[in-house]
Amino acid sequence: MDSKHQSNYKLSKTEKKLLRKQIKARHTLLRHEGIETVSYATQSLIVANGGLGNQVSRNQLLPVLEKCGLVDALLMPPNKPYSCVRYNTVEESKKAYDTLNGKEIVDDLGQKIILYLNFVEKAQWKELGLQTLPPGLKVIEEIISPEDEKMLLESVNWTEDTDNQNFQKSLKHRRVKHFGYEFHYESNNVDKDKALPGGLPDICESMLEKWLKEGFIKHKPDQLTINQYEPGHGIPAHIDTHSAFEDEIVSLSLGSEIVMDFKHPDGMTVPVMLPRRSLLVMAGESRYLWTHGITPRKFDTVQASKGHKSGIITSDVEDLTLNKRGIRTSFTFRKVKQTPCNCSYPLVCDSQMKEAPASFPESDKEALQLEQDYVHRVYEEIARHFSSTRHTPWPHIVEFLKALPSGSLVADIGCGNGKYLGINKELYMIGCDHSQNLVDICRERQYQAFVCDALAVPIRSGSCDACISIAVIHHFATAERRVAALQELVRLLRPGGKALIYVWAMEQEYNKKKSKYLRENRTSQGMKEEISNDTSVQELLVKELPNVGRQDSAHSVSSINDFQDGGCNSRNVANSKLPIHTNRTSFHSQDLLVPWHFKGNPGKDKRVESLGSLGSHDPSPVFHRYYHVFCEGELEAACQTLSNISILQSYYDQGNWCVILQKV
Amino acid sequence: MRLLTHNLLSSHVRGVGPRGFPLRLQATEVRINPVEFNPDFIVRMIPKVEWAALLEAADTLHLIQVPKEPIQGYEHNEEFLRKMHHVLLEVEVLEGTLQCPESGRLFPISRGIPNMLLSDEETET
Repeated sequence: MDSKHQSNYKLSKTEKKLLRKQIKARHTLLRHEGIETVSYATQSLIVANGGLGNQVSRNQLLPVLEKCGLVDALLMPPNKPYSCVRYNTVEESKKAYDTLNGKEIVDDLGQKIILYLNFVEKAQWKELGLQTLPPGLKVIEEIISPEDEKMLLESVNWTEDTDNQNFQKSLKHRRVKHFGYEFHYESNNVDKDKALPGGLPDICESMLEKWLKEGFIKHKPDQLTINQYEPGHGIPAHIDTHSAFEDEIVSLSLGSEIVMDFKHPDGMTVPVMLPRRSLLVMAGESRYLWTHGITPRKFDTVQASKGHKSGIITSDVEDLTLNKRGIRTSFTFRKVKQTPCNCSYPLVCDSQMKEAPASFPESDKEALQLEQDYVHRVYEEIARHFSSTRHTPWPHIVEFLKALPSGSLVADIGCGNGKYLGINKELYMIGCDHSQNLVDICRERQYQAFVCDALAVPIRSGSCDACISIAVIHHFATAERRVAALQELVRLLRPGGKALIYVWAMEQEYNKKKSKYLRENRTSQGMKEEISNDTSVQELLVKELPNVGRQDSAHSVSSINDFQDGGCNSRNVANSKLPIHTNRTSFHSQDLLVPWHFKGNPGKDKRVESLGSLGSHDPSPVFHRYYHVFCEGELEAACQTLSNISILQSYYDQGNWCVILQKV
Repeated sequence: MRLLTHNLLSSHVRGVGPRGFPLRLQATEVRINPVEFNPDFIVRMIPKVEWAALLEAADTLHLIQVPKEPIQGYEHNEEFLRKMHHVLLEVEVLEGTLQCPESGRLFPISRGIPNMLLSDEETET
């Protein structure tokens, strides 16, 4: 409440509105950011709508805040629509609270913004930890002189007529020109049989010779792509097609500096500043495994103190500010590869993934291979990202665990990131998973976990009071293997012990209600995701205009009735290819591959039909995971083939079929 | 890996069956992690422990002397319960190996995590 007013003083209409907005900011901060505001005065304030994420820069906000007193620190986390200010004394902070609430300022795009302030206990952010450049990445500063930069920029003739084969294409977002070989954006590859006449421009040839001699590059490139980015232009995150180019890819930045984002499949993002006249060298892991991209926006978040020096943009929120982009031209030199790629990153390699597309397994051996390629390898690669989308325990599972008697020994077979291992402290829970990387995460959380196969669990028979198997058995590729997994669970139980099993259901709509998987359209593959920084204008924390309702795009959803007539189609034609599923839609086959996209990519909810081979439509990498989704009654029937159990409960929970069984 | 966990682990090499228990423990790095003492919890655990295996493991790690079997009236013997609490829950093997007593197969323990994955030939079907 505003400290100036007495409790019996009637608030004016504007004051009431201001109060409402302030309270709304408070709630939004707590709900979406986990930031708790307090009602008493402290030295620190959260400034809602005054953040880098909504185009407010440090040099705009700081003077406004300094009018109220001595500012100890101003923390501006990147991509967030708020900042945090710490004043030297509580009095100064109170003054800011009283005078700046509802204050109108102008952002970097000239738009009016209203600030809302709330007190917080502490002004600090968790440090993300030391970041290093992706392995194989180098940025060489001032590799050319300003004179050479000018000369190179002037040498590019953007208005040559189109019969000239040094194609000038106008892509939606930026201008491009190719030399040596033409690059085809539809296939993300070069036409290796059609070399463009003229080769590389002469000025480039001498520059490349120089770089070779000085050891900046190891190989002589034979392909050049010139890109011109105006402020607001970008390029989606991608890996340069493995089979198209050799290992070393180098890019010269001219005209303006820019921030390029590198992303690892496990979700880690490293923003790297590329100054003017610098050479970016991508080799090894940074070329083959990490994606690189430029966000289409007009400002980059950079370090105020480092200016335009190269390197990683730190997460030190006390030092961040916005940098306006200029026109940047890049000269990217690559060497065309004439043989298939044989790198050590097969999951993202188009040459190595071109082997026979996944088909329905005919034997146990084929099933094992399918699971190896489309379950185990994928989870190892995406473990950390996967873990970050699996943080909310499901209520019924929590209920099951909490109902177990104190001192029970419980095994979580296929524990993933250990989500359920700490739910009930009265139990002794051990977890196991096939993925070393996921088990590492359990270990970080101080749980007892080990690596093993769910078909050969190294726990002595009859030792567990209970077991859980959540979203595991649907990864086994034959009915026999699925039953074998159930048998293992039962073997571990002591007589009277209970097991809880969850598997993905074919029926994603039940009793006319759509599952969360179908409903959650804005954020994919889990709950909260950071607001994508691909939009050039961030949403305000507190909007002034009335909210336009979020629209759910229409999906065709088959209801449970569709399946009751024909029964579940468990027949599969021999040698039939496994279909690739479109995320967030209903299932049309029981055995399928479900895509998993690198974190933060646009288009992952859209109907991108990846044709099974990488890089054909979507330049950003996709991992496919194998699933056998269960029909109603199928899990029960599988359990009933086991002789020594009785089924206690059988139900449907948010798109999953579930069974609780007891060993007799 | 705590000793209570070790007490549950068994080798799954093909053909070994119940003779795969207990796994022979060898530790190169051990850490003591204080855990809050909960007597009720320990009382409930005692009957579930395979005592001979625990004795062997505690001996290998040169831990405090563990009684040959649970003491009569252990439910009310705080000294005993505290000793067992320490042995079962507070000793963490960070680096070492687990060996199948029947086949000799070694499983590594690294950063506290045992890796019990078998190759296809070794797996029981």
